[in-house]
This record gives sequence, C-alpha cells and structure tokens, in this order.
Amino acid sequence: MARTSLPYPVPDVSVTDLTVKADRPIAVELTNVTRKYQLGDEQFYALKGVTLSIGTGEFVAVMGPSGSGKSTLANIIGGLDRANEGEVVVDGDPLARMSDAELSRFRNEKVGFVFQAFNLKADSTALENVMLPLVFARMRPNERKARAAECLERVGLGQRLNRLSSQLSGGERQRVAIARALAMRPSLIIADEPTGNLDSARGEEVIAMLADLNHDGMTLLMITHDLGIGRRAQRIVEVLDGAVHDGART
Amino acid sequence: MRAGDYLALAFRSLRRSRLRSGLTISAIVVGATGLTIMLTFVTSVKSYVVNQFVSTGQNRQILVAQNSNLFYNASGDSGPGPAPVAAPAPAAGSPDGGSSQGSGAGQGGAASTTVTLAADLEAKIAAIPHVTGVAAVFDRGFGQIAYLAYGAKQLQANNLQGYEPDGVINPTLVAGRDLRASDASGVVLLTQDYADALGFTNAYAKLVGQTLVLHTTNGYTGVGATLPNVLPPQNDCGRQGQGPGQRPSPGCFSGPLSGLPSVDIPAQIVGVVASSFNHQTVYLPLSWMIGLQDQAQPKDIQYASQFRINGGNAPRPGQPGQPNQQGQPSQPNQQGQPGQPNQQGQPGQPNQGGGFGQPGPGPQGPGTVVGGWTRPDPAQVIADAGGYNSFLVTVDKTNQVATVAATIDRLGVNTATGLHELNNQKSKANVVGAILGGLGLIALFIAALGVMNTMVMSVLERTREIGVMRALGARRSTIRRLFTFEAASLGFFGGLFGVLIGYAFVLAAKPVISHSVTSGKLAGANFSVSLWLVVLVVGLTTAIGLASGLLPARRAARLDPVEALRYE
Repeated sequence: MARTSLPYPVPDVSVTDLTVKADRPIAVELTNVTRKYQLGDEQFYALKGVTLSIGTGEFVAVMGPSGSGKSTLANIIGGLDRANEGEVVVDGDPLARMSDAELSRFRNEKVGFVFQAFNLKADSTALENVMLPLVFARMRPNERKARAAECLERVGLGQRLNRLSSQLSGGERQRVAIARALAMRPSLIIADEPTGNLDSARGEEVIAMLADLNHDGMTLLMITHDLGIGRRAQRIVEVLDGAVHDGART
Repeated sequence: MRAGDYLALAFRSLRRSRLRSGLTISAIVVGATGLTIMLTFVTSVKSYVVNQFVSTGQNRQILVAQNSNLFYNASGDSGPGPAPVAAPAPAAGSPDGGSSQGSGAGQGGAASTTVTLAADLEAKIAAIPHVTGVAAVFDRGFGQIAYLAYGAKQLQANNLQGYEPDGVINPTLVAGRDLRASDASGVVLLTQDYADALGFTNAYAKLVGQTLVLHTTNGYTGVGATLPNVLPPQNDCGRQGQGPGQRPSPGCFSGPLSGLPSVDIPAQIVGVVASSFNHQTVYLPLSWMIGLQDQAQPKDIQYASQFRINGGNAPRPGQPGQPNQQGQPSQPNQQGQPGQPNQQGQPGQPNQGGGFGQPGPGPQGPGTVVGGWTRPDPAQVIADAGGYNSFLVTVDKTNQVATVAATIDRLGVNTATGLHELNNQKSKANVVGAILGGLGLIALFIAALGVMNTMVMSVLERTREIGVMRALGARRSTIRRLFTFEAASLGFFGGLFGVLIGYAFVLAAKPVISHSVTSGKLAGANFSVSLWLVVLVVGLTTAIGLASGLLPARRAARLDPVEALRYE
C-alpha cells in the first residue's frame, strides 16, 4: 500500500472492504464507478471501481495527493462529469441515465459548488453573482433578488450586495461563492479546496461557515489538502491513484 | 432561462468588451448604411415612377397609332422618322424617357396598314368594353406661328399639339389647370421649359392667367385674321433677293396672300405642365389648333391685270406660305421661325409652291377676292393629313389593358400601353436595386465574418465562465442561446445604427439628389426611409448576426464543463 507515503495518518481500513457504509439515510451512493481518459494509445484511470456512500448531512473530507482523482470524484458526484462505468445515485437521482438537460437541472437544484478560485463574474455585483443559478432556474426577478440577498445576509455580506465582486477581498469573494452555492437551497455542497486561495484566517472563516451549513443539515463534500480541515470533517475519504480509501468517522 | 435574462446577460457581455463589440458593430453599420441608402434610392425612384403612371392614369392608357414602331411616351422631338407618335400627354411619367416597344410593335408592319385614325375608328375603339375614353391627338408644327411673344420676350415656336380636352389626358400640372372641353380657343398650356425661358422658374403660378401672343407670319389667314375683299400687293421676295448685296427680309415669302399682315393672336396661359418628355411644347384645344394652322382660302382671286386664279380648285397643301407640315411634327422649326427665311420665300424660287396657278415673277397688282373665303373643315384637314396622329385610349381597369390593346390591334392599328412601359420601368429599377442591394449584401457578408470572429474569441475568453455557468445549472441549449443571442444583438445594433446613419444621409442628400443630380426630374420623388425598409435592414442584419453566431455558440455549448472550469 502506498498509504505510508501520505503526509498524514490514514485510519487503517481493510483493503477488501472498500464499500463504505453510511449509518444515516444515503445522500450519495457510488457503486463501482470508473472514470477513464484516453490519452493517445493509453487509457488513464482517474477513478477505478470506486464504491462509496455518503449519508445525508454528513461532512466528508476528500483528501489525497494531486492528480489522485479527488476532483474527478467530486465532479462525478456533482453531475459535472459522467462515469464510464458504475452507478452514481445522488439524492435518489441516477445520474448515469440523465440527459444533459436533466443533469443540468440536477446541478442547479441539488448541488452547490464552491471552487478554489471562487469563479465569480468580476464585472457583476455580489447580488448578481448569487442570482445566477436562480436565473437558470427561471425564478422571477423579484423572488431571485430577495433570495440572493437572503443568502448574502447569511454569509455576512448583507452590506455588500451591490459591490462588484472585483472590489471584494478574497475571503469576501469566497463567501459570495458560498452564498451562490446556497441560493438554490441544495441538499449537497461540493467545495473543491475552498481555502486554497485564502490566508489561514480567511480560510478558517470559510471553513467555519461551511461547517455551520453542515450543522444545519446540509451534506458537505470538501476536497482539501489541509489535514487540519480534514479533521473537522466527520469522515475522511482518501483517494489514491483512482481508488477510494474510506476513513473512520470522527 | 427567461428571454429577458438572455437579453440582460448578452448586453452585459457586449458591454464588457466595448471596443471589440463596437468594432464588430461598425462593420455591420457600414453594410447596413449602404443597403439603406441604396434601397431607399431605388424604391423611391420606383414608387415615384409608379405614382406618376398611376396619378396620371398612364397605367390605364393605350396609345394607338399606325406606326408599327410605336413607342409609348416617346418624346416629340426624338426621332426624324415620319410621324413619330408623340405622347400627347404633357405629363410624361418616366424620368429617363424610356422607350419600350409597344405591344403592337412588329405586328404586320406599318406599310401594310391601311387603316387611318379617323372618327369611325375612334368610335369603334370607344365601343370596346372597358374603354372609358378615346382622345384623338393631332400633332403639328407651328406653321404660320412665327414666334411666341410674352411682353418684350420672343420665344421660338417649336411644337404645337392639339388635343380634345375630354379628360382622358391628365398632364402633370405644375401650375394652373388642364384644358377643358369648354375651352374652344384662346387658351394654351405651356411646358415648364417654356415657362423657365420666360423667367418664371419656380414661380409658375404667376404665369397662369398671363397672356401669351402667338405672332403669325405675313399672309396669315387662319383664325383671328382679318380677311379682306381686296388683297394687298404681294411680297416681292424674289426680286429683293436677286439684288447684289441684298438679302431677303426675314420671314419673307411671296404668293397671292403674302401681302396680308401678320397677326398677333392672344392666348391665355391657363396652366404650366411638366416638360419631362415634350420639350418646348404648346398645348391647345384641337379645333383651335386646326383653325390656326389651316388657312382660309379665297374662292377666287381676280387680278386687275391678266391673272385669274381659281383658288377653289387649288390643291391645298401647296399653298404659298402654307407649310405642308402634316405628318412632320418632328420638324417643327422648319417654318415660321423668326429670323429665318421661310422655305417658300427663298430667293430665286418665288412662288415655288403656288397652287394658284403661276402668277409668274414680278410684282402683282392687288387682287380682288371673288366669292368670299372658305375655311377648311377640321374633319377634312384631319382626313387630308391622313387621319389623327394617335388616339389615347383609357381603360377602366389596369388588368384589362392588355385585352383591350389586343382588341385594338385586331382593328389594324398598332398599340403601345403605359402599363407595359410602367412594368419596364419597374423592372429596370428592380435590376438597379438588385445590383446595389447586392453590393450592400457583400458588405454585410464581410461584416458577418467579423461577427463570427468576435464570437469565437468571446467563447475562448469566456471558457471558464461557461464552465461556471454549466456548474450552476446552465444547459447546453442555454449556453448556445446565450451566445447566439449575443451575436444577433451585434447584428441588431449594427443594423439599427446603420439605418439611422443611412436615414441621416438620405435626409442630407435629398435636396442634392432631387434637384442637382436629376435636373429636377425627380423633384417629386419622396426620398424617405420607409418603415418596411427599416424592418428589412434591421431584420437582415440581426439574422446575419444570428447566423454568424451559430457556429461559435455551438462550440461554447459543446464545451466539457470540467475542461472549461479548468481552463486558464
């Protein structure tokens, strides 16, 4: 096992028992999921036969070295990417059989993404950024404005609704991104290294905020390199060379 | 996504790259401006032509003549051939003097035509169903009218046209009124160029009601002349001309009647008409014209000395001073021009055309008119001239014109229709429009490549943004529509600004085009950008923008969201 190479201790789990059982209603269930890419003549496996369950309201940290397949795992769960083989069921929706339109709707309604690089529209205000998923959901303009304002209020940016996102600090931008992820009231939040571009203080704020959301019952899947952050999760799932090693619950 | 959201998002991204959007739009503006100006010009000219035809009723008119080479609205001074049929209507509609061959051209040929345009044929044509009027036109030169005088001004007398003012002919009046059936004599219409020559340019209304004097030559015996019982001594042109260094006096001719004085015949100018076809023409009631042209003859003249002439038997066309002009309206200046010796009064050829026997050279003593004067019967004058020059037939409905023309053709005469001419003019305008419009389209096609380029760049630049939008729930179709909409907006604004600039250009150029370029011919054309043209141009540029955006938008929609999110 290559686990000894990890810079952090990984709980010992049986190699044969890769099936992760969640002890609460299942939010995410991956069965034998494989994601491979064709690189010239060779096939590269980003995920190889991954089986994983995540319970509703769980806070799961996904850890692993760069290129191990963490992001691929997150993207498949979030419906941005499709598995080549295996079943992916999120909140009862079998993603593999969905059309593009259905999958888009799934992402819109059930998943909130938080990215490392924030990915806000620089020339738009905080409010407009948060309203974007609501726009795709065809919500009425008045309603979406109220909803977006409410979400920004929740992340502590109630005073900065009409600031252009380019005028906000890094921490504030990530909070806008969290508000945007919350806008559609999703059941699952996928945060891909949300603190990667922030200093530790701002990062701590963001993690606290996400943990708070999880506390309110939202399932949280967070990719991180930071073991300190990983430790705050209820469970660490380690991805290594396309395989998942489920960590113990804390 | 709602339609309004597409709009808002598209505008936002256009605004974000203002310079690039502006440049792309500029290219479309150029094409749209060109297209607007060209189409406006062509459609304005076309509608002007159509309006002229329709307002003057020419689209429902058929010109009937013996001439197989019949042209509708051919100008009176256009051809040297025998009896070219001059358009009797002073209001000629088409601006470029187009000459379309009439429907009767080539049928049978003129040589074999023996049917004369006389009253019986007029009646036959009038009896054809759908014919609402037949106007007989008799076209002659000025003959005994030496010149026109207005105050101190003297004008060359060029062309004299008589017609029955029965409402068939509706000249385009610049001022005043048309001739009426009640106008028996003493009234004339002048063409605009005559009025200009009199110094009434753009003040034609002031000329209406003024008196124009028709100054005759010596020996005039037409309407308005005093016919004496004893003839004054005749002119002695021949002898005068033979002397060394002597020239014949202007307008000199000899003959039994040549001693009679010239007469000033007053005519009231009742209207001024456009002169687009028949230049320098005086229009007057037909019967009056015949009375002016066809002189009274003494039944018999008794000279104190040896001659006795039986004037009653003399062949009319050869009268001295009586120009044999019938059927030669294309040479109106031959006689009667002031300052030019009359044909029959040339030195050395005295009494050349004398129909009164041969009085012989040398001065004649006063002759006595025996048996009074006879005035020719207008019908006889027309018959002697070989009938009317043409009939102008009016038909009640445009769609009956061809049928009626064919029916008239079967009577043995030839026809040309205004409708045919109108269609000719219209198709000419269409060809010009197609060429000019084609140039505009080429410009727009190049602009379309610009739009495509802009959109491809935009997709590349916004790859990451597309990934984010996909992550937030945008479908492929949403992304595709968003970019297509953006491209269509470029086209829309390009078209809109293009039309505005084109409109401004048309407004600015209107006076120049209307007056200078076309020498007033198109002064009545309404150069304005019509609503359908605005809709057409803006719609076209929008469609071109949209079409140009399809490919880049497809590329944007097909981006893999994961790849797009990773794009730097």
